[in-house]
Amino acid sequence: MNKVPIDEILNKVNGIKITHKRKTRIRVDVDADSLPTLLELIKGRASYIHLSAITCVDWIADNQFELVYHVWSYEEKCLISAHTRIDRGSESNPAKYVSVYDLFKPADFFERDIFEMYGVTFIGSPRMEKFILTEWNGVPPMLKDFDAEAYVQETFKWTDYNPDWLQELTDQGGGIAVKPEDIRTAGNTHNMSTHRERDKAKAAAVKANEKMQGWKQ
Amino acid sequence: MRPENYQAVKLGQSNEYEIFIGPNHPGIEGNYAFRLMLDGDIVVSGKADAGYLHRGFEKLMEGRLWIQNLAIVPRICVPDPAPMEVAYSMAVEEIMGIEAPIRAQWIRTMQLELSRVAAHLFTFGGHAATTGMYTPMFWGVADRDLVLDLFEDFTGGRVYSIYNIPGGVRRELPPEFLQKLSNLLDYLESRQNDYDNLLFTNQVFVDRAKGCGALTQEQALELSVTGPNLRACGLAYDVRRDDPYLVYDELEFDIPIQTAGDAYARILVRRDELFQSIRILRQIIERLPSIKGKIRTPIPNPLSWNVRKGEAYARVESSKGELAYYVVSDGGDKPYRVHVRGPSSMHAVQTLEFLAKGARLEDVAQIMFSLDACPPEVDR
Repeated sequence: MNKVPIDEILNKVNGIKITHKRKTRIRVDVDADSLPTLLELIKGRASYIHLSAITCVDWIADNQFELVYHVWSYEEKCLISAHTRIDRGSESNPAKYVSVYDLFKPADFFERDIFEMYGVTFIGSPRMEKFILTEWNGVPPMLKDFDAEAYVQETFKWTDYNPDWLQELTDQGGGIAVKPEDIRTAGNTHNMSTHRERDKAKAAAVKANEKMQGWKQ
Repeated sequence: MRPENYQAVKLGQSNEYEIFIGPNHPGIEGNYAFRLMLDGDIVVSGKADAGYLHRGFEKLMEGRLWIQNLAIVPRICVPDPAPMEVAYSMAVEEIMGIEAPIRAQWIRTMQLELSRVAAHLFTFGGHAATTGMYTPMFWGVADRDLVLDLFEDFTGGRVYSIYNIPGGVRRELPPEFLQKLSNLLDYLESRQNDYDNLLFTNQVFVDRAKGCGALTQEQALELSVTGPNLRACGLAYDVRRDDPYLVYDELEFDIPIQTAGDAYARILVRRDELFQSIRILRQIIERLPSIKGKIRTPIPNPLSWNVRKGEAYARVESSKGELAYYVVSDGGDKPYRVHVRGPSSMHAVQTLEFLAKGARLEDVAQIMFSLDACPPEVDR
């Protein structure tokens, strides 16, 4: 039997966009409606039998979820990443998509994971239930509009940690140069300015420490 | 789930009963639980219960700078952390359109193979312990420690090296390092007979492991099993050879396979792989001194580094199987999305549930350890 080139098979799907990224990677963009057809085609006709992963990306600005199906062929030695976008839904009307469990058994794990972390219901998936976060009742945590840091601030209490030995160090100009609460209140934790401030404070502390030692001698 | 939140199953008139293994149990690898329905000592069904190690790494990574995430990624799998760093770095490099210098790629390959040696030594001990043999565990951990000494020598960290950054590696190898590595390989090879006598040909172990948790090749492919577990079913598939990365296409190595697909076949594949890793490391010792050049491609200031828009799927062969990172950037200073595809997420959930069905209670622990499942890869 002659081998059919993969592009010929892919082009059978309506509205497909194929990008050859490199020898072992093909990116494919399809409509949500034709994705199951595509997977069935590449599995049945082109030996793409290994479902490597299903990823969900939350594009909140576009109000869409992107689902990426990474499928590998042991014979062609090539990975097809099939990208599709579905509506992001709302709290009252959560996002829905069709399961590919009857094509790929491992979809069970990935679809359950996406259901738990993003709230996408996969119709036909055998176990649409909680798995990792069995005791979590809030919104799906991987959504971009779930602010993990705000949740931590509301839920847990910060306690001051001022043991005597640390107080002694602080009196000598050492200890914690910038307190965690100062960083938190500064707003953005990881920008350049906080790093510079921290470095400055550290340098000042070192200087003060040197002075102190000089005085001791 | 916390124990106090468990609801006991009421079965009415039945001989079946429910039993929990884990989360803290010598027969469970890491913090993981397994709910078994038993009839006598035969498992009727098993249900994996994950979440004890969930630290929300994927969410954390979205809130940290590209460079800060390197402190997070190795923590996803404790026994074999190096592939995590390399896969993440490779994905970021692919988005950036840069490539690590050739010398850095050789050093990375060396680190990956050393990590594989350490992880396999650890697994031998764990697997043997589930059959009641504890000596291989002491030996395995002691020999792994010698590898960790080398890690400390050239990366500064024993377990979590945090040695790779996008663009290359952090430090040049210390002087005399390759000699030390060579000595260690001599030592490990000299141990081959001891390990064979103690474990791999030990009749007590062979009797327990043969036929335990057997998978056919079709079942393994259907369940997306990868790595040594797939090779134990007779399929010579290895990401290092079939989707080459770093300098694996310049190295000579065989892909050991077994056909039985059971626990014994799996540990034999790991044993052979360990010696293939030693073979690869010997080639690296020979070639590395002649490869001169930089170890880092310059990257912008990591504290204000915006990675351009794009996405990449980087795959490496970890000691457990196919490990992949899917990284998406929206052009910002932090990743937009990082998805970790750990090989154990396939092995420890569906495959374990499938293999436990019909097994005897005392074999469940062995099945889990023979799959070399690493629960943090499930939880992330």
